[in-house]
Amino acid sequence: MSNDHRGPSAYDDPGTPEEVTRRTFMANATLTLGGIIGLGLAIPIVGSLLPKTGTGGGTWTPLDAAGWKELQASTDKPVKIDFVLKNKDAYLPEDASPESVWGVKVDVDKFKKLRPDIYDAKGGDVPYPAVNMGFAIFSPICPHLGCRFNYDDSAGKFLCPCHGSQFGPEGDHLAGPADRGLDPLPLREQSGAAEITWIRYAPTVPDRIVVSYTS
Amino acid sequence: MLNWIDQRTGFVTMAKDFLIEDIPGGASYWYVFGSATLFAMILQIATGIFLTFFYAPSANTAWESTQAIYNNPFQHFVLSMHYWGASAMISLVFLHLLQVVVWGAYKSPREIQWIVGVLLLLVTMVLGLTGYLLPWDMNAYFASQVAINLTLTMPVVGNFIQTFTQDGTTMGTLTINRFFGLHVWLMPAALVALVGAHLAIFRHNGPAGPPVEDPRPLKPGRFWPDQMFMDTVASFVIFLIIIGLSFIAPPGLDAKADPTQSQFVPYPAWYFLDLFGLLNLVPGQFEIVGAIIIPGIATTILVLLPWIDRSTTRTFGSRKPILWTLTISMAIILGLTFWSQAGIAAKEAASSYKPVDGSKIVAPAAPTTVSAAPGAVDGSKVYAANCSSCHGATGQGTPGAFPPLAGNPVVQGPVAKVTAIVSGGLTAPITVLGKPYHGTMPAWKSSLKPAEIDAVVGYIRTLK
Repeated sequence: MSNDHRGPSAYDDPGTPEEVTRRTFMANATLTLGGIIGLGLAIPIVGSLLPKTGTGGGTWTPLDAAGWKELQASTDKPVKIDFVLKNKDAYLPEDASPESVWGVKVDVDKFKKLRPDIYDAKGGDVPYPAVNMGFAIFSPICPHLGCRFNYDDSAGKFLCPCHGSQFGPEGDHLAGPADRGLDPLPLREQSGAAEITWIRYAPTVPDRIVVSYTS
Repeated sequence: MLNWIDQRTGFVTMAKDFLIEDIPGGASYWYVFGSATLFAMILQIATGIFLTFFYAPSANTAWESTQAIYNNPFQHFVLSMHYWGASAMISLVFLHLLQVVVWGAYKSPREIQWIVGVLLLLVTMVLGLTGYLLPWDMNAYFASQVAINLTLTMPVVGNFIQTFTQDGTTMGTLTINRFFGLHVWLMPAALVALVGAHLAIFRHNGPAGPPVEDPRPLKPGRFWPDQMFMDTVASFVIFLIIIGLSFIAPPGLDAKADPTQSQFVPYPAWYFLDLFGLLNLVPGQFEIVGAIIIPGIATTILVLLPWIDRSTTRTFGSRKPILWTLTISMAIILGLTFWSQAGIAAKEAASSYKPVDGSKIVAPAAPTTVSAAPGAVDGSKVYAANCSSCHGATGQGTPGAFPPLAGNPVVQGPVAKVTAIVSGGLTAPITVLGKPYHGTMPAWKSSLKPAEIDAVVGYIRTLK
């Protein structure tokens, strides 16, 4: 091209030994500086994405009084009890949403026999009594993949709509892909009101690994 | 003129280099799958950028803004195109891959081009998965919850991926933001970079051509305009199909995500039905087999295909084991897909949950006082406890000492000023609505929390 002023390529000339040494230095220095830039970006980016640990021990939260009465009056049919779950995530304002748990009147000896996943399993033990005042409270979240299950009256079972896991009224795993029975939640009675601690356990694993406590 | 521009930019030469390319054996409609996939990608980027103008990623606005998009005919049409465009892109990527496997086009020297192609398939599927959550309706929520929890079955990295994608204790605004970042920034950037590499390598290697025994010296054909015309015809047909489907079958919006709903039967996008079926096939304690091991092995086989298929020619006769494996795999994939679809349909029929037309749901009226929001500080209570003794129960004030708040122009003025007075107090005498007041207003910032001050400021502005 007429306006191409480029002469012979610089790369055709191997250069003096000093130039070779200097170029080696500059090539390595370029890579080093680039690496430092990359590292300087990677540390804050990866650091900000690492999961935070230590979610606290959870607090007691009251159950709906009518639901609690219904459970106390029940025989062995599970009762869905509503409550208000307060949740606080990062910078977001505290959020209160309707939530529910399943309560069932149980016979402790029968419960212990039906639930080896709570009493005999290595990682299944929970550090609180799974049965209190003759009642077991179950998290409404399927231990398989986190869907919400229902109680089917006619079948006398808990059924999960997502992948068909089935549980008995005592929360024992009967069929389907779940790895463990229903998760029991701590229950106590405080000046006439029933209170629970809301705990989420990791799905899809046989052991009960705490994912989060929420008040 | 072109010459003048080219001397200063080189653009014309570049365009010529791009358009002038030999097609051995001439242009063919067999070669349109790659370019049609590229067209679908460009369509997705164009419609996707458009949608970000209207979509607001947070738990309180994701579904609401999607609903607003549904209720605007033009926006809804573009959303429908994005929805069907996603299906088109997945289908075309898959057809493109299928043709390359049938033709054995991944053989030397195209191994790296092939691996980049497999990565593109994966990135496209992740784009489908992450986009699925964004409308934040029932299925978006529950299907994504299942997908997020499934990552926990992955050894070593599972916990990190689960925490990274969900963020927060439950799915919510933090989750929507993670998915938005992945779907709108990270994955499209990866896609464009990989497509660039795929095309650059393609230009380096040239087209593989049909799988014939002894490639006779093929008649040279032209890319421009011969092949380009066929590519455009194919893209145009794809476009017509997407437009047609967007008119006839726009996607529906269900009710807003309700985490407590226990009858809802979530379903995956059709291109994940095969994996969904695989999950249902294996017993729960072997979930990792269906979720990770089998898909992992399948992906590894795909990546290593150029080295597994050791025949020296690309003819069908020399590659019977590969072609049979492909046929059987396709049969399994199709079988799983239809089986899953039937299973979901049966469960939906049995469920008491009935989908609704989310675009018709009218949002509840805005609360009239700030105290109405659940969990928020009740401004009226803060007022009654701290302010009413001086300013009166209804904000009528105390003559000569404390000004009325009801009908007070300062109270109705800029919020920042009202907040400053409540926080910092007032000691100098003031005049409100022509009357003097001498009382002292304490600085409340020492005894009230910022949220309480905000709530009470909001409350006194409602006094009339």
